Amino acid sequence: MGDEKPDDISQTETSNSENVKENEQKENGESGKTDKVKVDILLKATGNAPIMKKKKWTVDAEKPIGWIIEFVKKYLKLEPEEKLFLYVNQTFAPSPDQVIRNLYECFGSDGKLVLHYCKSQAWG
Amino acid sequence: MANDREVLREIWDGKLPICFQLHQEDLMDIQQPDPFYVMVPRLSYFPLVTDKMKRHFLRYISQESADNEMWLDYNGQPLKWHYPIGFLYDLYCGHDPQLPWTLTVHFTKFPENILLHCPNKDIVEAHYMSTVKEADVLKHRGQVMSTMQKKDHNQLWLGLQNDKFDQFWAINRRLMESHGDNEGFKYIPLRIYSDEGICSQRLISPKNNDGSRKVIQQLLSELYPNKPDVKLRTHGILIPSDTPLQWLSEHMSYPDNFLHICLC
Repeated sequence: MGDEKPDDISQTETSNSENVKENEQKENGESGKTDKVKVDILLKATGNAPIMKKKKWTVDAEKPIGWIIEFVKKYLKLEPEEKLFLYVNQTFAPSPDQVIRNLYECFGSDGKLVLHYCKSQAWG
Repeated sequence: MANDREVLREIWDGKLPICFQLHQEDLMDIQQPDPFYVMVPRLSYFPLVTDKMKRHFLRYISQESADNEMWLDYNGQPLKWHYPIGFLYDLYCGHDPQLPWTLTVHFTKFPENILLHCPNKDIVEAHYMSTVKEADVLKHRGQVMSTMQKKDHNQLWLGLQNDKFDQFWAINRRLMESHGDNEGFKYIPLRIYSDEGICSQRLISPKNNDGSRKVIQQLLSELYPNKPDVKLRTHGILIPSDTPLQWLSEHMSYPDNFLHICLC
């Protein structure tokens, strides 16, 4: 799945969805969830941020935004002290503890949630 | 538009008496510090009202811990600074109100996996403004916030920070207007929290499919079809089941323009 081009203006290459590896051990209470819902997210660079080769990812809907930020930082090999900001609708920066599912339900379209990332505050 | 001004004023004036106590582990002095009592606005955030309290305890703790980030807990439950104070009280004490609300102050062992860091008040402002923007995206596709000037944004924040009702509402009223020929917002900015504090946010229209206005009872049967007995609490009261969502959003949203509601 996921090999059709998204029908918006994005400059996506033909990127297949791929699971973001869940290497980290879960130590906090989320493990009780039985229905593992996954959602598609599309990560777009803005401002001076490097572009990610793979933009479309499938992630566990219960993951918080802070987890996505760490994932992108790791993928782009940013230094730990470098900042990364994520925006929804190119308007607001959700709180790092907001879960993907809430954002997907309210701001997702065409079956995915678009997140813009940048290294400085873009839409302050 | 919001016009039940007395309701807005009542909500704005809501305050909580809080008793802060220093965590025993952080105590370095042989002398026990007195607890610190203060009345705080329900609509505010802890980092905006705890400067004095922090100074009170600083001389009882070790030099090293004094540079650490302070954090709070209630009954062992760390409190998230980016939630409004009144909402935190409703979440953890709403079912069994006790006043003053006794909280423990910590300067060590910051719970990294639960709390966000808050090095200064700019972080609180950034979080606040971002939440107002999100709410405006839901209500008006973000059109009100994007046409406001920077000074209007500042006025909202300063009104909240300095507890100035008129200053705040002079701007906030524009965020509470309905646009176009619509009576009401596109969607209602609403977060519902379970008693473990798990937040659920969904797209909620202020109207039913037939165009009639949606009330709490209808929202509940839409979201929780299998739980006929659930009730919702905000600002210390149970919301009557015939309350229209649009009215609730205009009058009982927190200053961040979201309704923060506890499921009970």
